[in-house]
This record gives sequence, C-alpha cells and structure tokens, in this order.
Amino acid sequence: MLGGGSSSFRLAALYTAGFSIAVAVLGLLTMLSTRAAVTQQFDDRLQADRASVIDGYNKSGLPGLLREMGEASAGPNALLFGVQTAAGAPVQGPLAGLKTPLGVSTVRLSLQGKSETLRVLTTDLGGGYRLLDGDKAGRIEALSRKVLWGFGLAFAALLVIGIVAGLALSRAMQKRMAAISGTAEAIIDGDLARRVPVRGDDDLSRLAITLNRMLDRIGALMDSLRQVTSDVAHDLRTPLNRLRQRLERSARQAEDPAHRAEIEGALRDVDAILVTFAALLRISEVEAGARRAAFRRVDLQALVRAVAEDFAPAAEDAGHRLEFQDGPPAWIEGDSELLTQMTVNLVENALRHTPAGSTVRLSTAVEPGAAALVVVDNGPGVPEAERARLFDRFYRLERSRSTAGSGLGLAMVQAVARLHRGEARLMDGMPGLKARVVFPTATS
Amino acid sequence: MKLLLVEDDQEAAAYLTRALEEAGHAVEHADEGREGLLAAAGNPYDVIVLDRMLPEMDGLAILRTLRAARVRTPVLLLTALDGIDDRVEGLEAGADDYLVKPFAFVELQARINALARRPPPQEVVTVLQVGDLRMDLLKRTVTRASMRIDLQPREFQLLEFLMRHAGRVVTRTMLLEGIWNFNFEPQTNIVETHMSRLRAKIDRGHPRELIHTVRGSGYMMHESA
Repeated sequence: MLGGGSSSFRLAALYTAGFSIAVAVLGLLTMLSTRAAVTQQFDDRLQADRASVIDGYNKSGLPGLLREMGEASAGPNALLFGVQTAAGAPVQGPLAGLKTPLGVSTVRLSLQGKSETLRVLTTDLGGGYRLLDGDKAGRIEALSRKVLWGFGLAFAALLVIGIVAGLALSRAMQKRMAAISGTAEAIIDGDLARRVPVRGDDDLSRLAITLNRMLDRIGALMDSLRQVTSDVAHDLRTPLNRLRQRLERSARQAEDPAHRAEIEGALRDVDAILVTFAALLRISEVEAGARRAAFRRVDLQALVRAVAEDFAPAAEDAGHRLEFQDGPPAWIEGDSELLTQMTVNLVENALRHTPAGSTVRLSTAVEPGAAALVVVDNGPGVPEAERARLFDRFYRLERSRSTAGSGLGLAMVQAVARLHRGEARLMDGMPGLKARVVFPTATS
Repeated sequence: MKLLLVEDDQEAAAYLTRALEEAGHAVEHADEGREGLLAAAGNPYDVIVLDRMLPEMDGLAILRTLRAARVRTPVLLLTALDGIDDRVEGLEAGADDYLVKPFAFVELQARINALARRPPPQEVVTVLQVGDLRMDLLKRTVTRASMRIDLQPREFQLLEFLMRHAGRVVTRTMLLEGIWNFNFEPQTNIVETHMSRLRAKIDRGHPRELIHTVRGSGYMMHESA
C-alpha cells in the first residue's frame, strides 16, 4: 500500500486533514457574513429607492405617487413596485397583488411566467394606501453560492496538494529510512564497516551523523574486544605453551615410570584447559558474526549424513545406535565447517548423556523457506525448565556433572545457529531429548 | 633434515631446537623476522618452522615475501591464533601447514616429516604400494597379497593417507584435518574406531602388520622387519 505504515505519510495526512477542516470552517463563516452584509445592503437600497416615490405621494397624492413610481421602475436595475389599498386591494404595479406584512419580507412570485424569490419592503403611506418595493433576491443566493464554490475549490485543491505532498514526503523519508535500516541490517549481519549515508544538513542528516558516531564507537569497542581476545589468546597461550613444553620435556627426561605417568597426567590437564579455552574463543569468534562473509551454499542433508556415517562406528563401539533418516537435499547458506561442528556437538551431546543401548536418530527436513536438522534420542530426557538453560556456557545438569565434556558444546550449537539466522531449540523427544535447529533456506 | 626455526620466544626456541636436534635434525634458529627472512631466502632448508607473531616483521609478511621471491621451501606456521579466518589467512599466504600453540612436540615432528618428504605436486601417483598392500587410485581398488579388500569410502581415504605417508608418523590431528576436514577436537574417538575397522580389514590374517600404533603420537604404516 502506498505510504502505508509510514509515519511521515500519517503525519502529512493528519496535517492536511486539519488544514482542510480549518479551510471549510473559514469558508462557511465567510459565506454567512457575506450573505448578511449583502442582505443588509439590499435592504438599504429598498429603503433608499422608495424615497422619491413617497415624496411624490406626499406632494400630489396618488397621481404623484404613480408618476414617480413609473419613473423609478424604468431602467435596467430598477426595483419592482406595487400600490395597494390599506385593505390589500391592488391599485397598480407588479407587486400590487402581494399580501405582505409591514416591513421587509421574502415572498415567491410568478413574474413573466418565471417563479422568482423576492425581497419586499412594505410601507404604510397613510391615507389608505400601502407602497411595496422589492427586488429579485436570487442575487444574494448567487453570491453565497459563488463564495461557497470558491472555497470548495480551494478545499479540493488543498486536499490534492496535501495528499501528493504527503506521498512525496513519505517516499523521500522512506528512502532515507531505508538507507538507515539497510545499514543497520548490514551491521547486524556482521559488516561493521558500514555507515549511514549523510545528505545535506537537516534533522535526518544530523540523526545519521549521530548514528554513525555511535557505530564508530561500537566498532572501536568491538575492535578492542577482539584485541583483548587476541591479546588474551597470545598472553595466556605463551605461558601455557611454556608450561606444556616444560611438562613435556620433564616427561621425556623422567626415568621413573610412575613419575612420568604423573607428568603425563598433568599434561592431559593442561590440554583440557586448552580445549576449553579454544572452545570459548571459537564461540566468541562465531558470535562476532564475521564468518558470514565466507558463507556458501551447503546441503545440510549431505553434511548431516556424513557426520552420521563418521560417528556411527564410534557410537556402536560405545553401545549406542546412531541412525540417519534419509531425506531430500536441504540447501542453506552457511559455513560447512561450523555446521559440521554444530552437528558433531549435538551428536556427541546425545551419545554422552544417554545410557548404553540408546538410539540417536539424525534427520533433516525441508519446510517452506526453512531447513531443519533434528537430533532425537530415547534417553532419559531433560526437564522442561532446564532445557533452555542448556545453551548457556558451562551450564550442566546435576546428573551430568561427573560426565566428561566442557559444558560448551550446546553454547556453540546456539552460536552457530544464530550466525546462520537460525534457531536452536530443545524439546521433549518423548521419551528422550529432541534438538531441532531451523535455518532459512538458500535464496538463490 | 635441515630446518630453520623462526621464533622470538627464547625459551620455546631453545626447547624446540634441542628436541628437534635430539630427533636427528639440523636446526638453525632466527629470533626475529628480518634475520629469519634473510636466512630463509639465502639457504636451502628442508622445512621452515615460522612463528606467526614476531616483533617488527610478522610471520605472514615473511611468508608472503618468500613466496613472492619464489622460495618454495615448505613452511609450517606456528601460531597462537586459531580463529578460522586466521587459519585460512595463513594457508592463503602460502603456508603448507598450520599448527596452533601450544602443541605436543610429537605433533610438530610428525608434521615436519610429512612436509619434508612431500612429493612434488606435478608428479601424479596412480598406484601406492607398501609391502604386499597395493592401492590403485584410478580404479579405487585395494589388494593385499593379490586378495581384493573392500573398503568403505572413509576407510579408503584413511588408508590412502597412511600409504602416502608410509614410513612417517601420522597423528590423530593430522587425520582429523586431512580426512574429516575437522579443525576442532571432537570428544569422540572417531579416528580410533575407523582405524580399528581398517586394521581388521588390512592386517587380520596376515603374518606381518602394516599399520602400527606409535605410542603417544599416532599411527605409522610400514613394512615391519
């Protein structure tokens, strides 16, 4: 819809409506006051133009009156006259037959076959006669209509101009808003270098400049975060590297097998710290979103099948069954390395937290606009209240505290799903746990 | 083997030099970038072990300069950064392999050996042979003592990797990277399970084992005496 949902269009429409109502009220008031003034003028003329006729009557009685009346009736804009007796019997003139009270009144009269509205002034002359003078009142009506018509035109023009201007304004605003929201979308997608285009010097440009300054600040914070992460990686890995090397060297030099076994145990501990450290750094890297630049078309179905095939022998050796349910290709835009790691984490999570003899089933599904990966087991499951928390870093179920694992596997799953604009959810697998990750499908 | 180690951390360099020398290599050490670049450009080495983060001139710049100067010596990049982009960046700059610090010495040793005796890329091998085990890469068939062995695709890849590195240690991480393309550590021992299935098919019923476990390091394929 044109302009629909645009705040600038709504604003313009509201403004136009308000202005139009004001014009309409102004038009009505103008019409009324014009009409009153014109009527007053009309009545003044009725008063003034009978003066010569009354004079004639006062000087020479009825014959004088009739003479003056004949003179006053001549001419293009002359008034209409009439004389009647005090009892109302017509004496002479086109208005002589009217039955009007004294003073000004409005009457209808048929003149030369045309029905006309007249405004008539009735005067008692004394001596048994009444004088009537009047004119066609149509002029007053015509003038009022003209005033109304003029204001009507102005009203219509105002509406049209208002709507067109509102549309144009909202188009222009929408275009600039689209530029701002396009920039925001690009930044959400990981392109932190994007900035809002600034045009001219108005309030929107000033807003754009403020937004850009905010983005610069966020960019600087992200850079320093990355710098810190990188520094931590370097600064912590260097001493850990030395520690590992020393332990390794001691293990090589140890003569006593018990002593060597002890050192090798310490080496394994250092390695476990390093694995956790690497997993944390990797989650941060994925959450930073920079990986989207490397997205390719990936068949999720083929990728999941490969993981299922690679892990089936190991699952079997551990007394589990790992099954893959075949399906149609599920193309999504993504990073196959991260998607593989995500799938591996889900499979390992299912294998690790279900007793021997359990079955883990992997499948993919294609839905309109989406592709889903489903990993479901028939193990003991997870209480609903705890399911969402399993995506938190280092969150572990009470019963799994003694089980191997870093507590970071599902956090990584969540990070990878979000990177792909997907959603990871844990549900009741009836009876076990069901993990479902939905991705938007590839557009091209 | 003649190695060049470019590493600014004195203690790490001393340890690596000693351990590599104990393993029978001749090691030259450069502790900053420019010196390393001059040494690498002017002397024939079998493998260059290059730290990525060096003061003054960083490892990637050295690597790019070397490759631009058509020095083709295999380079193993050592790094404290194991971001996915960092790895891609390192390989694109011309590194032949990439090892994240800290690492087990046996891992470094295995990778140096794998790089050093790599056949020139233009040489196309169609048949691999170790003892009486024969792999035809065109027909995708494997025979031992003229008996046909049926392998799953992953088992075939695994065997090919071992045969191409015959006589050298292949670590678990090398297999994860080379065959599964996993640049992370899965918690499941998928290498071991696939290896034990491959072994059952290759070595069972034969007097001489061809696939050997090297304790604490990985696997090695060779014709044992």
